[in-house]
Formats: sequence, C-alpha cells, structure tokens
Amino acid sequence: MSFALRFILREIRSSEVITLIIALIISVGTVTSISLFVDRLQLSFEQESANLLAADRVVRSDQPIRESWKSHATEQGLEQAERTSFATMIFANDKLQLSQISAVSASYPLKGQFLVDDALFAQGHPSTIAPASGEIWLSSRLASLLAVKIGQMVEVGDAKLRVSKYLVLDPGSSTSAFAVSPRAVMNVTDLAATHVIIPGSRVRYSLLLAGDRDALQQYETWIEPQLKEGQRWQTPKQKGQSIGQTINKAESFLLLAGTLAVVLSGVAMALASARFVKRHLMQVAVLKTLGATPRILAKLFLLQLFILFVVGALGGLISGWFIQEGISSLLLSLMTTTLPEPSIGKLWLGVATGFISLIAFCLPLMIRLIQISPLSVLQPSARVEKNALVIYVVGFVGLYGLMCLYTQGFMLPSIMTLAIAGVGLVVSILGWGMFKLGRWATSGATSGWQIGLASLYRRLTPNLFQLLVFTLIIMLGLILVGIKTSLVSDWQAQLPEDAPNHYLFNVQADQVAGINDISQRLNLSSSSWFPMVRGRITKVNEDLVETLYPEGTPEPELFEREMNLTWADHVGEGNQVVAGDFHDQGISLEQKTAAEAGIKMGDKLTLSIGGLHYTLPVTSIRTVDWGSMRPNFYVIVPKQTLANYPANFVSSFFIKPDQAQAFYQNMSRYPTVSILNVGDLLKQIQTIIAQLSQAIQLVLLCILAAGALVLIASIGSTLEERREEGALLRVLGAKASLVRQALIVEFGFLGLFSGVIAALGAEASLYGVQTFVFKSAVSWHPLLWVLGPLIGVILITSIGVFASRTVLKVPPMHLLRDF
Amino acid sequence: MDKITALQTHNLTHTVTSKTGNLTILKGIDIEIKEGESVAIVGASGSGKSTLLGLLAGLDRNTAGEITLYNHSLTSLSEEKRALLRGQYVGFIFQSFHLLPSLEAVENVMLPAELKGDKQARQKAEYLLEQVGLSHRLTHYPRQLSGGEQQRVAIARAFASEPKILFADEPTGNLDEENGKTIIQLLFDLNRSQGTTLIMVTHDNTLASMCDRQLIMSAGQLKEGNL
Ligand SMILES: Nc1ncnc2c1ncn2[C@@H]1O[C@H](COP(=O)(O)OP(=O)(O)OP(=O)(O)O)[C@@H](O)[C@H]1O
Ligand SMILES: [Mg+2]
Repeated sequence: MSFALRFILREIRSSEVITLIIALIISVGTVTSISLFVDRLQLSFEQESANLLAADRVVRSDQPIRESWKSHATEQGLEQAERTSFATMIFANDKLQLSQISAVSASYPLKGQFLVDDALFAQGHPSTIAPASGEIWLSSRLASLLAVKIGQMVEVGDAKLRVSKYLVLDPGSSTSAFAVSPRAVMNVTDLAATHVIIPGSRVRYSLLLAGDRDALQQYETWIEPQLKEGQRWQTPKQKGQSIGQTINKAESFLLLAGTLAVVLSGVAMALASARFVKRHLMQVAVLKTLGATPRILAKLFLLQLFILFVVGALGGLISGWFIQEGISSLLLSLMTTTLPEPSIGKLWLGVATGFISLIAFCLPLMIRLIQISPLSVLQPSARVEKNALVIYVVGFVGLYGLMCLYTQGFMLPSIMTLAIAGVGLVVSILGWGMFKLGRWATSGATSGWQIGLASLYRRLTPNLFQLLVFTLIIMLGLILVGIKTSLVSDWQAQLPEDAPNHYLFNVQADQVAGINDISQRLNLSSSSWFPMVRGRITKVNEDLVETLYPEGTPEPELFEREMNLTWADHVGEGNQVVAGDFHDQGISLEQKTAAEAGIKMGDKLTLSIGGLHYTLPVTSIRTVDWGSMRPNFYVIVPKQTLANYPANFVSSFFIKPDQAQAFYQNMSRYPTVSILNVGDLLKQIQTIIAQLSQAIQLVLLCILAAGALVLIASIGSTLEERREEGALLRVLGAKASLVRQALIVEFGFLGLFSGVIAALGAEASLYGVQTFVFKSAVSWHPLLWVLGPLIGVILITSIGVFASRTVLKVPPMHLLRDF
Repeated sequence: MDKITALQTHNLTHTVTSKTGNLTILKGIDIEIKEGESVAIVGASGSGKSTLLGLLAGLDRNTAGEITLYNHSLTSLSEEKRALLRGQYVGFIFQSFHLLPSLEAVENVMLPAELKGDKQARQKAEYLLEQVGLSHRLTHYPRQLSGGEQQRVAIARAFASEPKILFADEPTGNLDEENGKTIIQLLFDLNRSQGTTLIMVTHDNTLASMCDRQLIMSAGQLKEGNL
C-alpha cells in the first residue's frame, strides 16, 4: 500500500491534520505533565514523611522482633535498623529521672537524621550516625534534670554510659510528641548489659525498613497476615495524613482543570476531523469507484489515525515531560531538596488520554467517511449522514470516561457534565434570542454593524455552536480562576505564615505565667493553654474494651494506650461539632476515632484516670482540623472530672528562626518543659502549597492554548463561506474596511454574549463545586462578571479577525472560480 | 449474436427515501449491453440517468430487480465484493474529473493498479499519460492543470485498470468545444483499441449519435431511441 503512505504524508501538511496533531499534543502533554508532576510531589512527600518515620516502613511490636522477619527483609534486599523503646530510670549524681530511652542499631536512622548539639537548649545540628557503643545522648531537659554535662557518666540499669551529645530530635519518635518522660538515645549493643528489660516490661520493638517500593510492597503482603495483637505495620502515609490529603485534593483538582484542556482539545479535534471528513468525502467516494474496498479504506484511515496517534502522543509525552521538568526547576529555588525523578510508569495516563481522545473524537467521523456511498460521486444526495447521534454519544462517553479516570470518581465529572449541558441549553436559548434581536434592530446592509449583526443570525446554527464553545472556554477559565482563589486561600487559611511551629508541653500550672512572660517579652504568638491529664478508656457501656476485640484483630487507637485527656469551656478553633452538643456533662469525641472504635452518640464510656473510674455519656462528636498544627485532642471530658488531678499544660507557639535561640535560652529556666520543633514539617507543607499553585498556573496556560486552538478550528469551518460572502460584498462595491468592520462587530458581539453567559455559568458551577466538592463557604465573585465579557470581546475579536483575515484579502474574482 | 453480454438488467427498480418521502427514480428497466458496444444514455435533467449509471456500475445496491455484470449478480453482493468487481471490470469518467488533489497526475493514474497490488503501476501510468498526450505533466498536481488536461488524466486513470466497461457521466459537460472534441476522440480511440464497452450519459446529441446505440431516459423508464 505504497499509495496509502503517500496519501498520508501528503495529508499531514493539511491544516486539519496539523490541528489534530496540535490538539493531541496539548491534551497528552497537559495530562502527562500533571500526572508526572503530582507523582514527583507524592514521591517527595513520601520521602519527607519517611524522614519522620526514620524509615520507609516500620514493623512495630510489643514482643522482640522475630528473626524470620529480619532474615526475610535481608532476602528482599531491604535495609534494616532496629529500635527498642522503653521507659526506665536514669541515675546520675544521686539524682534519678524516669526517661524514655530508644536503644538503636548502628544503621539507625534509615531515613532522616538526628538533631544533636553540644550546647544545652540549642537548635541542634544534623547527624545521621547513631550514638556509639558506651555513649548516650540526653535531651537538654533530661540533662538539666539530672544535672549532668557532656563527658559525664550516667547509669541505665546496670550499665554506665557516657553523655556525648545533647539530643534535640530523634527522627523516629517526633510524632509521639506528648510523651511525658524526657528522652535519651543509646546504642542497642549496650542494652543487654543494662538488664532493665525483664519479662513484663512495657517495651516497644521496631524493625525499620527501607528499600525500593516493590520490595517493600512484597514484604508488606508477606508480613501482614503474621501480625498479631500489639503488632503494626506503619507507613509514612499514616504519619502525615493532612499533607497527604492536601496532595490528593490538589491532584484531583489539577486533573479536573487538566480535563478542561482535554475537553477543549477534544472539541478542536472533532472540528478538525469534521472538516477533514468533509474535504475527503468525495475523494473516498472516488477511491471506491476505482475499486477500493471498505477493508482497504478502513486500513488506510486506521493507519492514518495510528500515525497521528504516534506523532501526537510522542509529541505530547515529550512536551509534557519538559513542562513538568520546567516547573520543577523553577521551584528549585523554593525548595530545600530536589524533587525525586518521576516514575516512567505514570506516562500511561497521557497515552490513554491521547488514545481515548482519538477514538472518541476522530474515529466515529472517520467511520462515517468510510461509509460514504460511491454513488455520491454521481448523485450528491446519496451521501449517508445518518449516524450523527452516534458521533456525539461516542464523544461524550469518551470524555466522561476520561474525567472519571482522572478524578477516580463520578462526582466531579457529573457536575461538570451537567454544567456543560445546562450551559448548552441556556446558550442556545439566550443566543437565539440575542441574535434575533440584533437582526431585528438592524436591516439593510449599509453599515458594518448591520452586516455583522445580520450575519450572526444568518449563520444561526454554526454561530450558536461557536457561542457555546466560546462560552465554555471562558466559563472554564473563569471557574479555574475562581477555584484557584478559593483553593489557595483555603490552604493559606489552614496554614498561615505564622502557623505554630513549636509545641510546648509538660508545663505545670505554676509555670504557665512565667512562660507567658517570656512569650510576651519576645513578642511571640501562641495558642491558648490546654490542660492535659493521662487516662485510658476501660469500658464501652457494660463491656470491657479487651473483650470487644477478638484475638488477632487490630485494636482501635482509642483503646490501645493511655492518652491525653483535656477539658475545655468551648469548642476549640478548628474543631466543629457534627453531632450532639458540646457541654460539660459528657464526653466529646473526634469523629474518625469514634467511628474506628464504633462508638456512637449516647454510648457510656468508662475512663480510668489515676486509678479511679468515671463513667460518662458521649454527648458530642467533633471533626478536627489536624492540618492546623494546633494542639488537638481525641477526647475532651468535663472539667469537674479532671479538676482533682494535677494537669500538664500544652500550647503551640510561632517562633521566627532568629528568635529561636533567645527562646530556647529563656526556656532553660524550665528544664522540665518539653519543646517540640515542627518547623521543618511546616516548611515542607508550605513548599508543597507553593508547588501546587505553580502547577495551577501551568494548567491555566494549557487550557488557554487549547481554547485558542478551538477558536481557530471553529472559525476554519466557516471560512469558505465567509470568503465567498466577503468577495460578494466587494463585488457589490463594499470597501475592505466595511468588511472588516462587519467582522469586528460579529466577533465582538459573539465575544460579549459568550462572556456574559460564561460569567453566569461560572458563578453557578463555582457554587456547586464549593458546596459539594471542597465543602467550603460559598462566595460571590464580582471579578468574574468583569473578566468574562472583557476577555470574551478582546480574545474572540482578535483571534476571530486574525483567523478570518484571508476574508479581507479575497479578490472578488474568487466568485468566478469554481472549487 | 455471438457477442458476450457485458451487462444485463431485469426489471431494475430503485427507490430512495428522502425527507419528503419515498421516491422511485428507476421504474423497471430491462436492457442488455454486449461487449464492445458503445451506448449513449440521454434524457432530461433529473430523469435518473446518473442513478442508472451508478447502479449499473455497482456503486450502490438497487432496491429491486436484477443487474448482471459479466455473470455476477450485483444485487446480491456486499459492498466489499462489489468494490472488487469494480476494480476488475469497471472504469469511470466524471463530469467534474474528480482527481485526488493531493496526488500528482501520475499518482492519480497509478491508483487503480495500486489498489490491485500491481507492481508495475508506475510504468503503466506513465505509458497511459503518454497516450493522452501528457507525458510532460507527470508530476503536476491537478490544480496545476487545465480542465481539459484534468479530464485527460481522468481518462488515463479510467483505462489504468484495463476495464471491460467504461462508464462516463457527461465527460465533456465541464469543457469547451475544443477540449470536448479532444476528449471524445480519445475516448473512442481507446474504446476501439482496447475493445472496451462504453456506456456514456450525455446531453450532447452529436456525441450521442457517435455511439452504436442510444437509450432515452424519461421519468424512470428507458427506451431504445434513434437520434
Ligand atoms: N439519494 C437520493 N435522495 C433523494 N433524491 C435523490 C437521491 N438520488 C437521486 N435523487 C433524485 O432523483 C432524481 C434523479 O437523479 P439523477 O442524478 O439520476 O438525475 P440525472 O438524470 O442524472 O440528472 P442530471 O442530468 O441533472 O444530472 C433527481 O431528482 C434527484 O434529486
Ligand atoms: Mg446526472
């Protein structure tokens, strides 16, 4: 089929095929760059979270780690480290202090790093090396309480260890922030010599693992069934849930926005295909008279589509790759670490987009082309034009499918589809009315106004279609502007610049005033103080919690250990009561925890606090904004229940980096107070937000490009007709300037109508998206009502007049030549 | 009487559905055309000439009656089979030439042979273009050729598949007298030299009278005529 190839090569230069290829490149490129970029964000997030976990995965157990678990990890080629955590007394200089000790192996931490310092209450320097055998690192607080300095000896059980550093941060334990006892880290090889671990001791053994994703995945499936009560498989995702949710939300938003580019490219592809088909109907009929069988023709056009697909998809993948590389390197300045390389596996989404787009927007039209009756060469009315509906249905199903693929759900695609259908209906009615009005207001052909407005009504169907397309483009752009504003402000509200970056806990009631003093002197912003009392839930209604969960099933977090209880006069910031009333006669529970433990409103919980038992009903369920970085509590109990217990207080502070030193030094007066620095975590979240905003700009650009392509393609489909009219007007004596004026009026009004309807539609869809998807407060967007008509008039007039510039240049002779 | 029958119809009827309802264009046509004959079909505009020509050539399926092309009953064949038959037996010349605009003259002429997988397509095409006097315009695109030249390319293309029957729908309709004559001359020359059957729709009575037989189409009926 050498002629097939020749045929294709010749066609590739035609404007329709070029439009098709560009449209493919835009949609594949948009989706590719988004999915790769988000993948990199996700990977980087996982890596950063792994730093918090000190490993990629952790197996946690209250029994010593089994040898088989370690040897299997070795077989899988995973890196390993061990940590044994326990509470014990440390002795020094006749003083003793209960402390929380981690005994770690030499390879600990696998991810992240320790922060240690040679000075007390300092900020710390990173260290990836664990304490050597015979050494111990004490937190500044612990060292102060024991009154020891670097170089002195302390006793842990039977072992004597030398203090070699002050511990600022142990990467693997940063999340158990509310632990009461001060911390220390020692080498695991010294553990046996201490003799502190005896049967019955409360010890937490951890096997830390790191390695490639597949190996970890295999290890997980291998170990999960072996885990018993008191044993857990921990992943970084569980550790940083609020960031993870932000990323997920952002991903579906970006892909939704990207869908708009895909939709627009699809429209451009459909327009170009329709033109292609129109131009080739006769040629195909001729080929048929020459003996081309349907099979040969099908092969020919499938081959053509395939070449298109290869060229467009490759172009899209390559440009998508470079675009995301581009944004990533733009972001380099903002970030502390470079983003990890994206996984090649993520390219499939772009390829699938290109494939589905071609099938949905080109194939039905191509089939129609192949089905033309050869008789139409002799008798034009013999053409088949039956399956127009099929074309729309296939296109719609393809798009809807793609949207569902991106958002992994039906909600957003359905809202979008309904919005588009609604806009289609409204546009048709309004547009018809407005065109008719314009036509009625002017008659005759003496001015450009009259000719322009009359031509809007005369080409009613194509103009209504263009009106719809333009309206959709502007509307989608406006929606994006609206969503971006509400999304970014949503994030910023969640994490303002001065979001708390330090927690203070273990504060005694009589220390609160002194610390408030320091905070005032340094001019720090802080949250209020929350009292904390340790306690645990022992009974739900009449049932002991131990009996509620059969052997082998994991216990809900709520029952697993002692936790921090607080009381409060009113619902705290970032907390929202979703059931019941918040008052001082009952318990208020966090929603997810309650659901996990299967506790409902009105259930009676028995709390064990300091050896005494209290039974209280659950009177309210709250949601908690964990992303807020303020102290939050699962369980809030009435004040009178806790009144008789000595409480620890907790608060959060925002401390600027240059104030940190002064603050730490001031706080050395309160050695018993624990300070937790979460500044790095915050910086990470803020970087991610910056990255995402950047990505949204990119998507906006892609949409604009696709929109311009649709404009040009749709004007292209009426160009022939316009040329003839232009020539006719000129023959009748009209000057080129009159023809130009008519074009400006026509496109200007088209743009104005589109802009107004688009603002209306955008406002309505934003209402829907804000209410149902982001569940944020609904707001009015006056900006859209200015932007819409303005952009409509300027953009459509300039692109319209540009795309139809040849109309002005057609010599009147054009009418005499037959095509 | 010893000549082979190239084409035969029995009660050929064709009805189309249009927006205004069913329209019977051909109402029971019986003809028999022998191999090597030249036949002119004349008649008023809209009488159904083109439709008849198309059906005889197997371009579409008739709604009732029988068409037999060299012992193949066209009525019962699928489009796939009809296309193969067209490639094998039939050549076409149209009023508006219908060359493929994206292919050069020689490539246009190569098409029928290439569709049959003929390796010698190019040589044959060049030879045919020489026959129609266009050996110097081989690589020109249709838009670079005049109407008469385009129709000569179309004739070369029609003969490229070595057809047994050549169908022509007003081949001179778009040409001036001079060019029209050249084309007609070419057609009849090739018709004679290759022994091709020629079936031609025309409004031109002199052209019609040059044919062996004249058939007159009127209101969907066909009569043997004499001009
Ligand atoms: N598929 C169709 N649908 C509707 N009407 C058709 C169809 N095919 C043919 N006709 C009508 O049938 C009639 C005959 O058409 P045809 O083209 O065969 O006439 P013709 O004799 O070739 O005319 P002309 O000399 O003008 O070319 C015309 O009125 C035409 O409009
Ligand atoms: Mg005709």
